[in-house]
Amino acid sequence: MYKIWTLFKREYRAAVKTKSFIISLVLVPIMMGGGFAAMIIMENNKDTDDKHFVVIDHSGLMTAPLQKALETRNSVDIFHSHTGEKIDAAYVVEFMEPDIQNQKAQQLALSDRVESQELHAFIEIGPDILHPTGEEKEAYLKYYSQHSFNDQIRYWFQNVVNNNLREIRAAELNLDEAQAQDLLWWINVEGMGLVTVNKKTGEQQEAEKTNEMQSFLVPYVLLIIMFMLVMMSAIPQLSSVMEEKNEKIAEVLLGTVTPFQFMMGKVMGGIGVSLTTAAIYVTAGVFTLNYMGMESLIPMEVLPWFFIYTILFILMVGSGMAALGATCNDNKDAQSLTFPGILPAIIPMFLIAPIIADPTGPLATTIALIPPFTPTVMVMRMASSVTIPMWQPVVGLIGVILYTTFTVWIGARIFRTAILIQGQKPTFATLYKYAFKG
Amino acid sequence: MNIIELSGISKTFGSVLAVNDLSLEVPKGSIYGFIGPNGSGKTTTIRMIMKIMYPDRGTLLVNGQDHNFERLENVGYLPEDRGLYKKMKIGELLQFHGKLNKGSDLPRQINYWLERLELKAYKDKKVETLSKGMRQKLQFIATILHQPELIILDEPFSGLDPINADMMKDIILELQEKGATIIFSTHDMAMAERMCDYIFMIYKGKKVLDGTLDHIQNEYGNDTLRIQSDMGANALNGMKGIESINNFGQLQEIRLEEGADPQLILAELLKITRISKFEITKPSLNDIFIRIASPERKEAVNV
Repeated sequence: MYKIWTLFKREYRAAVKTKSFIISLVLVPIMMGGGFAAMIIMENNKDTDDKHFVVIDHSGLMTAPLQKALETRNSVDIFHSHTGEKIDAAYVVEFMEPDIQNQKAQQLALSDRVESQELHAFIEIGPDILHPTGEEKEAYLKYYSQHSFNDQIRYWFQNVVNNNLREIRAAELNLDEAQAQDLLWWINVEGMGLVTVNKKTGEQQEAEKTNEMQSFLVPYVLLIIMFMLVMMSAIPQLSSVMEEKNEKIAEVLLGTVTPFQFMMGKVMGGIGVSLTTAAIYVTAGVFTLNYMGMESLIPMEVLPWFFIYTILFILMVGSGMAALGATCNDNKDAQSLTFPGILPAIIPMFLIAPIIADPTGPLATTIALIPPFTPTVMVMRMASSVTIPMWQPVVGLIGVILYTTFTVWIGARIFRTAILIQGQKPTFATLYKYAFKG
Repeated sequence: MNIIELSGISKTFGSVLAVNDLSLEVPKGSIYGFIGPNGSGKTTTIRMIMKIMYPDRGTLLVNGQDHNFERLENVGYLPEDRGLYKKMKIGELLQFHGKLNKGSDLPRQINYWLERLELKAYKDKKVETLSKGMRQKLQFIATILHQPELIILDEPFSGLDPINADMMKDIILELQEKGATIIFSTHDMAMAERMCDYIFMIYKGKKVLDGTLDHIQNEYGNDTLRIQSDMGANALNGMKGIESINNFGQLQEIRLEEGADPQLILAELLKITRISKFEITKPSLNDIFIRIASPERKEAVNV
């Protein structure tokens, strides 16, 4: 243990003293936060240039309501209620008579105007839009623009047209305004957490509203931090061990320490570096969220699990990487082995969406219990707003401990044999030989 | 008492038999020289003693104990391929190696050895700033810093200039005086002759020589002549009783055929030239090495 400790201290100091460590410590949160900051900046810096449209209303019903809605929008909605500052674009609409004879030519001419950026888009409202049932009815609302799929403005037109159509339909039924409102009232579903009992006071706690932040952001951020910690500490083991092998440092040390002690000293050094980073990020995150009054977002009960799983995950991937590093002779070998080595960390990244969408579903539950994926997937599920049965993280942890013991054992065997062998290409067959035949 | 006892050790790499049924006893407090051509099995033997590799067969005792998979304590090891962390400062590196080897009184020991090997001025410099020879000296300090009782040096003199090689030789002898046992492999036969109490030669994985220099030389008898004459090597042309001539220009070293009489050769030479030196002697270690590992011998062994 003393020798592992001595190796650990050297590894740790060598890693944290480097410029790249300090830079990554600062850069990574900036990059992570940068995405969100960019989103907020984009929200606050909307394009306020006027947008020009042409509307061809085949129904003849929507011209007046649209004009009214445009007037309200352009004179009130696009200005800040307190400062009066213009915060959104005005929509300038030219209403054009439909050219029934030359409909295609009209569409082409308007498309050209959009292409030349004279217009932002043109809209066609179908003739039978009010009562779209029945055969051969032409009920449509078409929005022609260069990027119509991403163009959120089309929803403004959709809302105005549909709201007015409903009002007209209500009027046709001779309903007054109050009845019409009653008829058209729409209720949004609210996502709620569960009602709990405070363990200290014994009082029943009200269920809290869940939101996107809680159900997506928290698991996502924890996953990213874990991924980053593994990338930072376990992945460099490969090149570091390869370098020590090629520069013959390994043999000098192997006169004093066993291959297992050597490998563990290195992997523990990696864990130390990761825990330092994690402690800094988590502390900074907790302080920031407290400062912003968003402390409810901090998944306090998940954090111990996060740390335990992260340590085991780094041990699992790190020992594998160190063993693979011992089999490499040059950068080419290292490149070809890095990808399979980091697969346990990468695969869960592709499964974020289905796991977060249904954290207790069969897919998420099964993957969370497969040891190489347990650390990331289990923590992601635990940090989501649903409650995971308590046996799952415990069983997952036992699985991870067993699997990690196995990878460390296999890793040490490969490491022991491969570290002194020069010039042998690391193939699956040689790895198998090193691991099981020595 | 023997500090190391190898008996019937063999090691194969794939189809290559690197060490073949090797037995060896290294007495405590001795200097044991390992010689042999490149690829003969010296380094593999040393690695097995160090427990870096494990023999396929045979037993290996250090201080009377089989250490299995544990590391030997109180041993200093300088491998053939030197390797140091380039980014570490010299002082820190020595501290690290000293601690790893559980050395005591490290700061004082580090200062003493840096001073002794003329590296004191570099203590706070990084390893990468040192020349090859300086790195070799630094690695030597890292090997002996913890005052080990067994010191194993694989080619300790390679790459050193004569002054530094001499300095290292003095230190090795000093360490022996203080009670350490030293095993070193070398290609420098003169150094081995001068320093070693025992010499062991391995060739194609098999032990071919083992014993004191006298003992080894006695096996070959007085079959060597060293001659200096006015005619040089020309005087020996067509001379009977000579197996081979090693011509050094000013001096010719002659190996006699079995049963040849040196007095007859001297008489023949005196007829044709003036002799300034005529010495009947035992073969040098260098000569013995060449006799064993020469191409003719290789063919003989291969047959």
